[in-house]
Amino acid sequence: MKKMFKKIAIVALIVVVPIMVNAQCKGFTKKECLPQIKPYVYNGQLNSAVLNEGDVAELLLTFYNNQDYRIFICSQELLGNTEFKLLDTDRNTLFYSKDHDYVKFWDFKSNSTQQLIVQVRVPTSEIKKEIVQSGCVSIIVGFKE
Amino acid sequence: MKKNITCLLFVLFVTTLFTGCNNSNNTFQNDNDTLNNAVTIEHTKKVKKIFYNVPSPIEMANVLHESGVQYKPEILISFKAVDKYVNVPKQALILGVYGSDLSYVRLFDQIQQSINYLSSIKKLTEDLNIPEEQGSFAVSRLENNMNNRDSLLQIVTETYSSANAYLKENERGNTATLIILGGWIEALYISTNIVDFDNPKNKQVINRIAEQKYSLSNLIELIKGYPNDKELKEYLPLMNKLHNEFSLVDIKYEKRDVVTDENKKLTTINSIVTINISKSTFEEIKKTITEIRNKIIIY
Repeated sequence: MKKMFKKIAIVALIVVVPIMVNAQCKGFTKKECLPQIKPYVYNGQLNSAVLNEGDVAELLLTFYNNQDYRIFICSQELLGNTEFKLLDTDRNTLFYSKDHDYVKFWDFKSNSTQQLIVQVRVPTSEIKKEIVQSGCVSIIVGFKE
Repeated sequence: MKKNITCLLFVLFVTTLFTGCNNSNNTFQNDNDTLNNAVTIEHTKKVKKIFYNVPSPIEMANVLHESGVQYKPEILISFKAVDKYVNVPKQALILGVYGSDLSYVRLFDQIQQSINYLSSIKKLTEDLNIPEEQGSFAVSRLENNMNNRDSLLQIVTETYSSANAYLKENERGNTATLIILGGWIEALYISTNIVDFDNPKNKQVINRIAEQKYSLSNLIELIKGYPNDKELKEYLPLMNKLHNEFSLVDIKYEKRDVVTDENKKLTTINSIVTINISKSTFEEIKKTITEIRNKIIIY
């Protein structure tokens, strides 16, 4: 009976913990990231996830012509220098934050409407560790009215 | 055996909690490569999470305003109809619709109409159990800034984004997607109904409509992310029909240089685009948009 209870408790934790971690991540985005997109207007869509070292996340979005956009990558400090790239649909690199001292945000303008990809990568620690670091990463998109 | 199961469950728990022990078999583990190297044929295997963004009602309305279209309030859904929407999916869809209607009236400085729509939106967010502090809702704030278009923008933006964040935080991403769907359909309904295809002055707006081809693909992917949502599932065949119609829109790019200005922290992506959309394709798109909107609206 005791063993059964233990198992149920473990299963419950497996289910609940990721939800809690995810919710905390979104709390981080609202508190730490969204205020920083100003004076751009936040596009209103939450793109945040808990990522591990070495993980890659992508955001597909449409850039309208002659509209100014700001892409802001907001990640927890413990993850180090999170890199981001702007790619076209042929996966050609248009911008790479690593070439700009791992800048957290950059502004973009396209003179024709097109689908673009924001790719984010969490760096890998050079020291081999037993526990892999993980933390919140948010891709915030703002546009200018 | 039982011990093994317990051990396995424990390992799973610890793995989830600490997001994994270092293991070379893990798809998302590092291999010390740079982002450049990561972009290979294998990249899809490495991408842990893909997000799809659809233009918000504010962004869509902004595009319309820049195109210089006229104000036609008669095509909008009345803010008074809010009480007809009593179940969660319908309320979420109409919340999106009202978001677009509000963004549209706001662009034309219709302050009183904006307040009316905002009041209906407030009722819907309450019905959807989105807490007031999350919605950052304050009609009084708006009333105090009657002539301040920027304050209105601020309130609309906060409302939309806070609702989106709150719903996703609470594992209600399907409801957030219904709001986005309603907003996108209404914005496209407004666009297709305020233009005359044959009027050369409307060419820019027609092109804007044609360009929604991309956002539609993103929206369909977003909907597919909730395969168990009954309401979203119902819209998928119509969205696919719309996708087929948009596939007849021909958009050609000629890539030019990409210019980065270090001082301004600005990258400009230059290209030349040619958009071809026939009148029959436009009419078919307009018809399907109306069909989807009629499914959302309760008359």
